Amino acid sequence: MLLTLDLNDPRPLHEQVTGAIRRAVASGLVVPGQRLPPARELAAAIGVNANTVLRALRQLRDEGVLEFRRGRGVSVLASPDGGEVVRRMARELLEEAERYGHGPADVIEIIKELESS
Amino acid sequence: MTYRSRFLLTAGAWAASVTAALVVVPLVLRARLPEPLATHWGPPGAPDGASSFWAALGLQMALWAVFAGLAAYTVLRGDAVRHRARRKAAAAMLAGGAGLALGTQWTTLGANLGRATWRDAGAVGGRVPLVLAGAVLLGVIGRLLASAGPGDPPEEGAARLPRLRLRADRRSVWVSAASNRWMSGLCLAALAGLAVLAVLGLVTGDGRIRDTAVPLVIVAVVGWALSTVGARVSEQGLVISFGPFQWPTRTIPLDKIQSARAEVRHPLEVGGWGIRGLPGASTIMIRGGECLVVRYTSGGELAVSVDDAARGAALLNALVSARPAVSP
Repeated sequence: MLLTLDLNDPRPLHEQVTGAIRRAVASGLVVPGQRLPPARELAAAIGVNANTVLRALRQLRDEGVLEFRRGRGVSVLASPDGGEVVRRMARELLEEAERYGHGPADVIEIIKELESS
Repeated sequence: MTYRSRFLLTAGAWAASVTAALVVVPLVLRARLPEPLATHWGPPGAPDGASSFWAALGLQMALWAVFAGLAAYTVLRGDAVRHRARRKAAAAMLAGGAGLALGTQWTTLGANLGRATWRDAGAVGGRVPLVLAGAVLLGVIGRLLASAGPGDPPEEGAARLPRLRLRADRRSVWVSAASNRWMSGLCLAALAGLAVLAVLGLVTGDGRIRDTAVPLVIVAVVGWALSTVGARVSEQGLVISFGPFQWPTRTIPLDKIQSARAEVRHPLEVGGWGIRGLPGASTIMIRGGECLVVRYTSGGELAVSVDDAARGAALLNALVSARPAVSP
């Protein structure tokens, strides 16, 4: 499972990890039914405390994305709602653009440019 | 005739001839053999076990069937004729297995031939290393013969290494694993056996139970270590962890890695399950299928069977090329 974290993200670490796993599931890198690597392994790879990863996993379980099963670890239950994911990503994009001095109108321009190219 | 049909025809004819020899030779000599036959020899060289003619023949056939079956599986399921490494493995099994089966038969029949009862059977001590050496030699010859044919079919994009695009403000890590349920089951079965033995040992106080426990402990430990393997890729390099508790681990730092790729490998090609091969060309084989293959800057290679290996290889390649050049 490939996880990507933003180094400039001001959000707390556990939220960033939640976002990274959510994106991985939403983009189809891990599919429903598939087991996630152990939390300790994830934590070691990302370079955070295992509790941070566990907090992220619990958050995703509450969202209905993951499922905890005794003895079988954590597996993907369902892909997060597509529309919700896009909206969330758009929000992140706008925040990111803001940081570089681009307003929503500029972002729309950029998207249109991408579409026409 | 294509290479494939030639290979299949030769392998089939070979397997049929060996099977025929294993059946016909003892049947022809049956009148001169004792019933039952000596089939097991103790350390001093004297026979200490016997079985009936048909049981001995059945055991011979079973031994040969294991090798022939493995070879047939490789050829039929792994499309071994088109892949040189698999073809060599199949040929080595066919030739070496035939050597072992025929050699064992030769040893057994030779010791029993012309004797009145199995207790009079001759010693076999001297022939055992001969049979083993002969089997290995035949296996090597089989491998050599099979390596002569065409090379592997070109794989898509083999020339281009997969590479992931990295962004300076992003940090990417890859985590994956592979597990083998048979190995977990083996480990559990061995542990259950040990528990039974421990109870028996307490109840009966029989010292021999300890001798039975040793192989079970080995099976449990091996099954445990091979039940699952984890791999993670980050700026630290590639970290491989063994067992369900991700311990022990082995770290290969980025500056020792030249490139990475994904490759499909099967236990039969690399010589079985576990850590296989020699340092510099080894495979950590937990289950057949996708493997992450890492090439060291020193020239050697290490493969580990994990799911989603292509993505891990792409990230490793990206991290290796993004790494600032080390100043001497």
